Amino acid sequence: MSDAHDSKIFEVTRRQVLEVGTIVSMSGMLPAAAQAQGSVSQPTPENGATVRVSFQINGQPGAMEIDARASLLDMLRERLGLAGAKKGCDHGQCGACTVHIDGRRVASCLTLAAKVDGRTVTTIEGIGSADALHPMQQAFIDHDALQCGYCTPGQIMAAIACVKEGHASTPEDIREYMSGNICRCGAYVGIVAAIQQAAPQIERG
Amino acid sequence: MTQEPTADRPRIDAYEKVLGRALYAADQPITGLLHAMTVPATIAKGRIEAIDATAAQKVPGVVRVFTYEDFSQIKTTPAARGAYGQPGKGHQPMTSPVVRHRGEAVALVVAETLEAAIEGAEAIKVRYASGPFSARMEDELASPEAEPDRQLSSGDAQAAFAAANHRIDVEYLHPQQHHNPIELISTTAAFEDGELRIYEGTQAASAFAGGLAGMMGMDPTRLRGVSPYTGGGFGQKNGIQEQSVLVASAAALLRRPVKLVMPRGQLFHTASYRPRSRHRIRLGADEQGRLLAGLYETVQQNSRYDGFACDHGANPPRMYGYRTWQGSDRIVRVDTQTPGHQRAPHEHPSSYATECAMDELAEAVGMDPVEFRLANDTQNDPITGKPFSSRHLAGCLMRGAEMFDWNRRRREPGALVADNGGLIGLGVACGSYKGSMTAAVTTLRLFASGRCEIATSGHEMGQGIRSVIAAELIEILDVDPTKLEIRIGDTGHAPQHITAGSWGTGSVAPAARSAAMKMREELSALTGAPLSEEPVHVQLARTRRLSLEVTVNTIPLGKDGQVIEQLRRGIPSTTGPEYPEFMAFSWIAHFAEVHVETSTGRVRVKRVVSVADCGRVMNRRTAESQVRGGVVWGIGAALREAGETDPRFGGVLNNDLAEYVVPVNADIGTIDVDFIGEPDFKLNMSGVKGLGEVAMVGAAAAVVNAVYNATGRRIRHLPIRIEDLL
Repeated sequence: MSDAHDSKIFEVTRRQVLEVGTIVSMSGMLPAAAQAQGSVSQPTPENGATVRVSFQINGQPGAMEIDARASLLDMLRERLGLAGAKKGCDHGQCGACTVHIDGRRVASCLTLAAKVDGRTVTTIEGIGSADALHPMQQAFIDHDALQCGYCTPGQIMAAIACVKEGHASTPEDIREYMSGNICRCGAYVGIVAAIQQAAPQIERG
Repeated sequence: MTQEPTADRPRIDAYEKVLGRALYAADQPITGLLHAMTVPATIAKGRIEAIDATAAQKVPGVVRVFTYEDFSQIKTTPAARGAYGQPGKGHQPMTSPVVRHRGEAVALVVAETLEAAIEGAEAIKVRYASGPFSARMEDELASPEAEPDRQLSSGDAQAAFAAANHRIDVEYLHPQQHHNPIELISTTAAFEDGELRIYEGTQAASAFAGGLAGMMGMDPTRLRGVSPYTGGGFGQKNGIQEQSVLVASAAALLRRPVKLVMPRGQLFHTASYRPRSRHRIRLGADEQGRLLAGLYETVQQNSRYDGFACDHGANPPRMYGYRTWQGSDRIVRVDTQTPGHQRAPHEHPSSYATECAMDELAEAVGMDPVEFRLANDTQNDPITGKPFSSRHLAGCLMRGAEMFDWNRRRREPGALVADNGGLIGLGVACGSYKGSMTAAVTTLRLFASGRCEIATSGHEMGQGIRSVIAAELIEILDVDPTKLEIRIGDTGHAPQHITAGSWGTGSVAPAARSAAMKMREELSALTGAPLSEEPVHVQLARTRRLSLEVTVNTIPLGKDGQVIEQLRRGIPSTTGPEYPEFMAFSWIAHFAEVHVETSTGRVRVKRVVSVADCGRVMNRRTAESQVRGGVVWGIGAALREAGETDPRFGGVLNNDLAEYVVPVNADIGTIDVDFIGEPDFKLNMSGVKGLGEVAMVGAAAAVVNAVYNATGRRIRHLPIRIEDLL
């Protein structure tokens, strides 16, 4: 996706956003498919009690009025078009929704959107680009650490955090600290190998 | 063209997946989307007497509350959940006040936001008249079917068993299990470009055009099923779901797109599952360890209204050279939703029971379990007498034994002890899965720019079907994988056959290969000369044409052109395992090393070695992953997974991922995989047999046999838990 194309979408987005008035600024965070179609989802009407949140997502500042009941996961997926984080249980049991808040991994399904006010959120869309994959993304490809790919964004976000926490020095540690992320296809052997490959290239936090 | 037996390439869609860009059904950006939530029935059987939606309708953002009164027009057809294609069966919830199983939807709340839909659903009050029911096949009101589903026999097994020198007579119990793919089952219905599009992570996009249309009284050509990526299927997504037609009907009535992502807790009650089963096995051998007789009787739980057959007896008689065999499979009807195919649906439970029984008999005979299996190897099916198209099970056993260092195993349990005092056990077991194929209509378009598009039948659910298609196109046309667009899982691009039963590779590999070969022919005809070594698109460019398109119908062995018409109408048609000249199966041998902590009874699976005979290996990397995945499923079945039914109220008590325990990373040790790699050209031109399911078959038994070798305890139910070993 070229920069020129991205900036064009940005204009369309902001115009729509200003018209509706619920989302103040949502630049550069639309999924590829929405950009390709040249259209974006209409901003969601917020029916319940709302809270105002300001945040940084993937390096971009943003702010919105959002339903006080909404989870961070549903804010990302249903409001911001960031569909990389996945819903696998909505109970914090599977890890598919893992994102980083201020550099720490969280289950975004168990995190209220209201809690990210003033915080920095990083999702799978924010760690690398098509031209420059994050070392963990490359390692997942190299070791075929995925099959259906549904848990993969959460696995990669957890894996990066696992390294930064200092829990990736032995395979046993990796297995233990990656056990909050279920892979039903059973790619665990590849996931451990991928983290071992990428760990030396990632700075510990 | 030479066929590389074990090409090792990155999974072709790995790039999109690690970037988080692969869009699954519930990820589609759709303008004006409404969100839905179901209200699950809180009784196991009975009738709805009244539904009070007053409070729900007052929840801000709620657009509409649907009940059975809105959906009485929906027809229950052979496509309905649980019908398995049998007319007059199946059950579609919310078409009448009747409740046939706990957890089925009794109301559907549609709202502007998910939060409002959930609050609305929680505000619905339902009054029921509840009736007597049976939740499990052991319950008083359970109804055994009078006639067996299947009987197979060869010779007088009763007499041979009575005369055998060594006999065992054992019963194994297999629990209810739930697939739990991490992608929640969801349905999104949207009118786009004059057609109703159903986005659902499914293994059967054709189920919508072919099935949902009939249920809704719509023209099938106006329905399109789209399943670009499926986030794990394992058999749970191989048909219309209970909520599919409800969401589609809601969208039709509201003239708005509607999305429903089913909560995991509800899916334990609305989606399919592997039913409980009991397996009685009697095996007899002579002094030399030759198998004289096998008698195998199984019983499987089923719903009241389904057509899901009990089929445990199909594979075990084909595993070894039984002199005589007698088997029967029966079902018992209870008041639950319909069970269904879950990875190696009957092959896994039957291999668990029979391969553990083989371990027991080997011990009774006094033979090593590997030697015992090798001594009973066969190249002919004992039931039909036909030869196998290919069978390298002995090779799997011998190579696996070497990789695993099987010779260190000691016959007496508990003889090997780890440094920390834990007991080490080594176990072996084997498996098979039918070699099956389906028809395909494949369109391949080559562009002078080097781009290449292929549309065919198939669904990508992580097994690597896109990588298989790419492998054949790369081999025959040397296309650039980065310029390859593979369109599958979408009835808008090509007729779609359900992808299940390990027939994916055997169907798409020959389809892609024959399309690629036809492209070479057509290009050669166009250039008027045999093709050179230059890239095909360069040769095409020289003809001044922008693109060249070919369409190929592939008809599997033993079928005729009628299958193409069936495919176009969305009717499943598969082959195997019996073909006119032979029987076709994939084979596998698993070796497991477990460590059992003596103080806690905790079992750890330290290492598994699996060697498979799946014909030609299309992509070494994705094939290894698929086998590892099957082994992880076997470990889960052996030590973790069971749906706990509540006999008082019906339903599954442990209906979430914290309580229904599946293997996590810390549960999995080393898994080494190898392949025989001998192509089976008798079955198809690509030389492939299936892999996804045989990978799991026998894996649980290897773990259970290893637990016996460590502890001396024969645990004849799954899963084996700490309390079994204390």
